[in-house]
Amino acid sequence: MAQTNPANPTAPSKKRKAPPQNNTAQQHKKQKTTSHHRARQRDARTLSTQTAPSGSLDVDKFVAAREFEIHALEQGMQRSKKALNRRAFQQVPKELRRRTASHDVRRVPKRLRGRAGREMVEDNTPTGKEREREKGRKGKGKMRLRVETVKKLRALGARKREDRVKGDGDGDGKVTVVDPAATDGLAARPDTTEKTVVKTRCPRTKKAASLAKPPVPKAKFRKRQAHKSWLPTHGFHAKRAHMTPPSAPLWRFAVPLTPTQKSYRPTHRASHERGAVAWDTSYMATIGLEGQQRSVEGVLKALGVEVGVKGEKWRRGTRVLETFVLEREEPHELIAPVTVVWCVADGAGTVEDRKVKRKCWLRVHPSAFFQLWEEVVRLGKVAKPSVSVEDLRFEIGSIEITGPGSTEALLGALWPSRRPDDSTEEETPSVEKTWTGLAGVTNPSMLPAGALLGFNIQDPRLHHPPMTISLPKSQEDQNKLLELLATWPMNMTQQPPHLFNSSSRSQGSKLPSQKSINRRKSLAPPGSYPPPSSTDPSIPVLLYTTNTPSPTTKHTSTTPSSSSWTLLAPWKTIQPLWYSIIYYPLSTGQQPRFGGLKEMQQLAFEGGRAWFPADFPGTKAGWEWECKERGRRWEEWRRRPSGKRVVFERVDLGEGKKGEVGVGWACDWERLVGGVEAEDSVVGGVVEGEENNDESAEETNNKPVRNNGGEQTEKTSDVSVEEKSKEKADLTHDRKPEKKNDKSQNKVESETPPPLKPSNLTHLTSAQALALLKPSSNPIPDLKGKITTIRLTLLTRGVPQTCARIYRLPAASAQPELRAAWLTLLPITKHAKNNSKKHALPKPRFKNEAPHTVQQRLARSLLEPPRAGDDNYPTCPGEEDLIGFVTTGNFNLAEGQGTGVGCLLVQKVVEDANEGKTGEGRLCVIRNAGTTVGRLGRWDFV
Amino acid sequence: MVRLKHRYLLVNILFPDLKNAPSAPRPKGVDELPYAIQFHQPSSDRMNAKLLMQMIRNGVSELFGDYGSGMIAGSLQVKYFSQATSTAIVRVSRDHYRLVWAALTFATHLPKPVNQACVFQVVRVSGTIRKAEEEAIRRARLSIRRAKRDTKTAQKVGGSADGRAAELNEDKDINLEDVSGFADGIDDADEPGDEDESD
Repeated sequence: MAQTNPANPTAPSKKRKAPPQNNTAQQHKKQKTTSHHRARQRDARTLSTQTAPSGSLDVDKFVAAREFEIHALEQGMQRSKKALNRRAFQQVPKELRRRTASHDVRRVPKRLRGRAGREMVEDNTPTGKEREREKGRKGKGKMRLRVETVKKLRALGARKREDRVKGDGDGDGKVTVVDPAATDGLAARPDTTEKTVVKTRCPRTKKAASLAKPPVPKAKFRKRQAHKSWLPTHGFHAKRAHMTPPSAPLWRFAVPLTPTQKSYRPTHRASHERGAVAWDTSYMATIGLEGQQRSVEGVLKALGVEVGVKGEKWRRGTRVLETFVLEREEPHELIAPVTVVWCVADGAGTVEDRKVKRKCWLRVHPSAFFQLWEEVVRLGKVAKPSVSVEDLRFEIGSIEITGPGSTEALLGALWPSRRPDDSTEEETPSVEKTWTGLAGVTNPSMLPAGALLGFNIQDPRLHHPPMTISLPKSQEDQNKLLELLATWPMNMTQQPPHLFNSSSRSQGSKLPSQKSINRRKSLAPPGSYPPPSSTDPSIPVLLYTTNTPSPTTKHTSTTPSSSSWTLLAPWKTIQPLWYSIIYYPLSTGQQPRFGGLKEMQQLAFEGGRAWFPADFPGTKAGWEWECKERGRRWEEWRRRPSGKRVVFERVDLGEGKKGEVGVGWACDWERLVGGVEAEDSVVGGVVEGEENNDESAEETNNKPVRNNGGEQTEKTSDVSVEEKSKEKADLTHDRKPEKKNDKSQNKVESETPPPLKPSNLTHLTSAQALALLKPSSNPIPDLKGKITTIRLTLLTRGVPQTCARIYRLPAASAQPELRAAWLTLLPITKHAKNNSKKHALPKPRFKNEAPHTVQQRLARSLLEPPRAGDDNYPTCPGEEDLIGFVTTGNFNLAEGQGTGVGCLLVQKVVEDANEGKTGEGRLCVIRNAGTTVGRLGRWDFV
Repeated sequence: MVRLKHRYLLVNILFPDLKNAPSAPRPKGVDELPYAIQFHQPSSDRMNAKLLMQMIRNGVSELFGDYGSGMIAGSLQVKYFSQATSTAIVRVSRDHYRLVWAALTFATHLPKPVNQACVFQVVRVSGTIRKAEEEAIRRARLSIRRAKRDTKTAQKVGGSADGRAAELNEDKDINLEDVSGFADGIDDADEPGDEDESD
């Protein structure tokens, strides 16, 4: 049974020229390796065969020959498959893959490096070594000059350094600064103080509140941060995430938008099932208030933060409060959601004395920071005795982390600087002990709502790379954990967190050099971390859980209320902390993921929560966001070829109505609040499709945004009546815009600021809106332009998209048939599970179906509600029933169906919301922008 | 991107003329082999891939002249040839695989040094060699099973004439059962699922 390899006539094709050949020995070797590579590939592809068996034919030989063939072919298939792809760098796991210079040996993981190196030699992959060598060799014009200059500069620097050393030796100008906060009295004074002592006083919060300046970056990076600041973890994120473009920073920060990897589903899984998702939220602004408790409380009250007896623990400083702040002036406009943290009073638990000086922090989204800042500064001045206000924006950084592995990851990264001593088995364990006792918590919402922990930690770099912590396994440990969570000793034992103290913040920020850390790590025995030393800085941190109350409707059963940890720490320590958290090996495998802004939005949406600022278009920050998004969507729409984009002016809305309500790429609040009349007068400003104009002129001409303010009035004044009527005719005809020849007008338009917020558009919190909807509420106040955020679930099918229009059911008095038609779509059973069956797609028809089953199905279909697309499917209600827009809509992975978060005009639902049996008042019809089909849904307050 | 597209023909060589079979003729009577095995004999030692290639080239030039031989010259390649099973996989460009198929069909003898009557049967045309290989494996399995079964029944039935009749019946049954007897190969090659004949 000799095996013969049939000759393969193909010559190895050469993609690259042969590798550089310096001497004959090397040449020989390299040729050998290359030919070896080709030969290997050829071998893999050839199939082994048998010669014909000698002698007479019989069954055994026949079978044996076939068996050999089968074996040979199967082997051949496998071998050729293996030989096909697979350079070493192609085998790197997905999340480690990179595109730039991925062939480079130094960029593949260590375990593949040897193989990759071999392959590079075999393939003669250019490494760029030649160019480098070229550079290094002196004698080339520019480079030589540069090298010489560097040499000169180095020599100069060395000389200077020498001089300085000599000068120090004289010991004349030596100044020792003694920090009274650091050293207690004179005892610790070093000997050198005999020379000159400058005594500094304790740092005080400045009376005149001033905005914080971003930290001065290294010279190398200064130019890049001229108009924005980087987050402490910018280096990490810039490599791995899409950042805001340099020309358009967000809230004056370079913010990571979304990881470059695909991450929609992985983020959902990490936050709901296994793993953790972390964000660097250092852009969140912190405002510090300090003063007598009563005046600080007064300031908060003026901002609309009022908590009665319930807020006892919060006021003491052992809980955080998440609430909304309002403007002080009459319309009491919503500013933003904030987190309010009190510092624990020094004399533990003496809240009765309302004259004691206390500190309080407000944490707010950066988009609303200036608005809140101005308000707070004004209130602080007014308060008696006055409250000093401090901007802590670049002093406090923060990290948010959510998911089942979040607590574990934090425990692995945050090592309390004071050992949680087990010797003192007291009734009330220390903060440190409580913290380390939390191992095993998978959902931070198991902790008391808004629980707060303030303590000091060691330098995280000492414990880098982090190791998986030991989690409780026995029942006993579990019981202990449950007991801890139930009693929550922090109510009593929490001391004033050092993070509130500016001197300990700055002390904690003075981290030793990485070199010294490395030295200590190298001295430590293998497999263990270096022991803590007394000179280590202890970093003050503040940890709290952000509980998101589980939505009130059916959501409860499917998804547990998710919750996240927020870690506050000095700005400069965020980076080492971040690395420790993000590289922590979770016990469930993998590491925490990181998220960008989009992931934050996604998780809020999946939890049915409103995300500031996108879901609060009635606030100033939210309106800015809406304008920005509007521009983006318009740009997207405009860039599509005209045949492939939605022609909004021709959308058929049923019953002869044509054209999208308002602007198709926007949540058109101006139209909803201002009415159609306002709309018509502005029509000139809304420019949509292109007609016979040349493209370039049109582009400058088309403005995404409708102008509502002064610009509009100016225009309406100078456009003659005749022109206006022509415009209107255009609009009714095809809504193709008029072309503009007036250059000056174009110019004005291209420079227009974003549209102004409709003057009476204001946002109500859900609590306020609920209070308004109570039947017992007194004479209904002026509700014009008041909107509130709601959550939507669709009762049948469909997925609401952002900008979808929300309608109420037409009134029974006006259009009884249409209302009835919509109500037939309402699933009969209350259980959410059943409606999926009723509104499922029709089953496929089989070829040989028995006639009786066909008849059965036909009979059943008579009772079924109409499907979208049927002739009798109800048309969408008219514009008079438009009540709001969907601000965030998508398919919800947590719910397994399309849901949305939107805003409603309270005025239009106030009559319906309470009347009607079985919550008919909260039914609505949702229609995506640019489509004709409406879907039945139900709204609920967020 | 432009890509060269090929077709892979899976070819069986059958030897219906039992007298000239390469293996020594068996003594008559004792235990005659089933036809399936007799047809699927191993080919001669002297037959190899080179000869097959030459034969196809000659056949194509005879049938289609210079045009035909020019069209297939660049792409024709014998990927696999096994003497023991008389199976071959021939590669040819997609546009002209019919020329090769026709040449194979018209061939009645193996080329000169072997010079033996035979029938070339194209049992499968596929776009990738993998599918041709899979088909070859499937057929080999099937013929093993059939050969084993046939010998069993032959032994059971005993007598020569009856045995033959039984075998014939058996063969028919098998053909009905799994559409892959030795006579229906061409039908098989044009299954609707195949990705050939795209034009």
